[in-house]
Amino acid sequence: MQLNFTPLAGTSRNYRVLVAVLAALVVAGVTAYMVSYLAGFRLWGINNSVSWGQLITVDIFFIGLSAGSLVVSSLVYVFGQERYKPIGRMAVFMGLLLMIGAMVCVLTDLGRPEKMWRLFMYGYLSNMKSMFAVNGIFYAGYIGLLLAYLAAALANSKLTKIIAPVAVLWAVLVHMGTGAIFGFIETRGIMYSPLKPVEFISAAFVSGLALVMLLSYVTLKLGRRPFNKEMYVSLGRMLIVLILVLVVLVVTDKLTHFYPPARESVLFLTQGPWSWIFWGMQVTMGYVIPLIILCHPRWGRTVKGIMAACLICVIGIFGERMGIIFPGLSQPLQYYPGEIEGVWGLRGGFPIMPAETLMTVGIFCLLSLIYVLGLKYLQLLPAAASEEAVGGGTEAVAGHKALATEGGVT
Amino acid sequence: MARWGMIIDLDKCVGCQACSVACKSENNVPHGSPHEWKRHQDLYWHKVIAASEGVFPTVNTQIIPMPCMHCEHPPCVNVCPAKATYRRGDGVVMQNFRRCIGCRYCIIACPYGSRNFNFKDQERQEYSRPDLPPDLDLGYASHIGPWPYPRRTRGVVEKCTYCFHRIDQAVEKGQKVGGDGVVPACVEACPTNARFFGDLDDPESEVSRLLATRNSMKLREEMSTDPKTIYLPR
Repeated sequence: MQLNFTPLAGTSRNYRVLVAVLAALVVAGVTAYMVSYLAGFRLWGINNSVSWGQLITVDIFFIGLSAGSLVVSSLVYVFGQERYKPIGRMAVFMGLLLMIGAMVCVLTDLGRPEKMWRLFMYGYLSNMKSMFAVNGIFYAGYIGLLLAYLAAALANSKLTKIIAPVAVLWAVLVHMGTGAIFGFIETRGIMYSPLKPVEFISAAFVSGLALVMLLSYVTLKLGRRPFNKEMYVSLGRMLIVLILVLVVLVVTDKLTHFYPPARESVLFLTQGPWSWIFWGMQVTMGYVIPLIILCHPRWGRTVKGIMAACLICVIGIFGERMGIIFPGLSQPLQYYPGEIEGVWGLRGGFPIMPAETLMTVGIFCLLSLIYVLGLKYLQLLPAAASEEAVGGGTEAVAGHKALATEGGVT
Repeated sequence: MARWGMIIDLDKCVGCQACSVACKSENNVPHGSPHEWKRHQDLYWHKVIAASEGVFPTVNTQIIPMPCMHCEHPPCVNVCPAKATYRRGDGVVMQNFRRCIGCRYCIIACPYGSRNFNFKDQERQEYSRPDLPPDLDLGYASHIGPWPYPRRTRGVVEKCTYCFHRIDQAVEKGQKVGGDGVVPACVEACPTNARFFGDLDDPESEVSRLLATRNSMKLREEMSTDPKTIYLPR
């Protein structure tokens, strides 16, 4: 199969406005971070009950998306499914990008980010019994592997076939390790589960695939590139299977912990004040609506229906991540049987504070910015079917032909 | 080496919070403000909880002072990625602010809620105790500097230390620890003598005698953390 990859021209007005807006929001996020670093994290919503907040939620969401994107790319580069080739490079690029975003999240979330090098001292100054420190190995290796993978994919190197399986397996490891950070903590009933790593990687597959489908479609559409409807329909079929696997895992996990006697945490999750996250976001938006749309005989065959399902599904999986952090941490600790009076027995609250929210928005915008710039400077997108088709497009420029000839030919 | 432990007699405790106040003044823990209290962003190395069962008039309220439990198997030490929290040879679970990266994983792992994140720098620089430079460990060669700091630092996790500066100094000078000797600030401040401090390994100590003669319990024993802060029930 012959496929050309060319960058976007990136000279249209819309493109420049988009880059400018994203850059401005990134600057706002950086400012918010500098202010909150100097003033202390009292400017954030975190407190001594809910001590991990928005940034860790976004962090595990991004790590999941990254692992999922890599699995999509493995369809092309490991299993050799040529029909998915148009989105292969984008998937690898997104994997790298989202992982960098996750690292930005976790490092800015540290109270003392200047000491982050301690995380990477592997046993010498770090405690390798901590899942957090073990994940330091996974994360660092993962970013290295992803860089090599992206370089190999862009150069159409033969090495891709070797790097791809390693990178994909490593991605699975990375995300299972992230799940273990939560799953090993017995103190927090909602997090504590041997299934957590498996659940994490399963949710990662779902959200990663959905995001790659959505973003690649939007990019191809806005960039006036050709796209294959059948490819999205078959990926939609795959999404159904992945969501079903995730549903089975979540139901198993929650049902096990729902079984008496120790069932307070599941009751808190499903009937407590945060139950809207579980029922509204995780179950309804993550599983039910996407499954209905994708299984529908008509909606499931149209690109619009599939994209709506993907969008709702990604938001739903974000809800699943929220459902780990916020209910998991705000559930009051039962120091002693009976009702703990006063402030020590209250469930933790989490106000949405401007500084933290700006940072979250800034990190999202940073990733979008790198993605948009990557489309311009890297050969990620499949070339337009013919030059005539592109001629009328807003993105078309004279230099396009020259760039197209430079594009990798596979 | 000694194995320090604390015994709290719930029968004698009247819930006056003198221990919490003494802890704050001894260790220079910031007072906090009503706003921070509402946001749960203030620091407490020691807290007093009240657990009630039943409804009025048939209600039973149990007042429980809670310092750090100084577990034999501390979950916080397991999860700390930077070796910032560690269990000393004498069983005291310590927090080294200079190593702490502020990831707050230990707050999440602690079943007793005895860890607090420092959300801001201290406004006033009122605290100076140059006479108490404690060691990292007993017999450790070099000092980690003045205790805890001339000024507190934001972005790290803090916790109760069983007033290790008092204990270490007494051990160095050969003074008696526990009983009528040197004890942590909360033990000293207790108006009803409900708290006892001493060496759990020494069969002659006051705490060992109390444990041998009275019923005792530990908080959240299902977590198998084996706390060294032990309660004598009412």
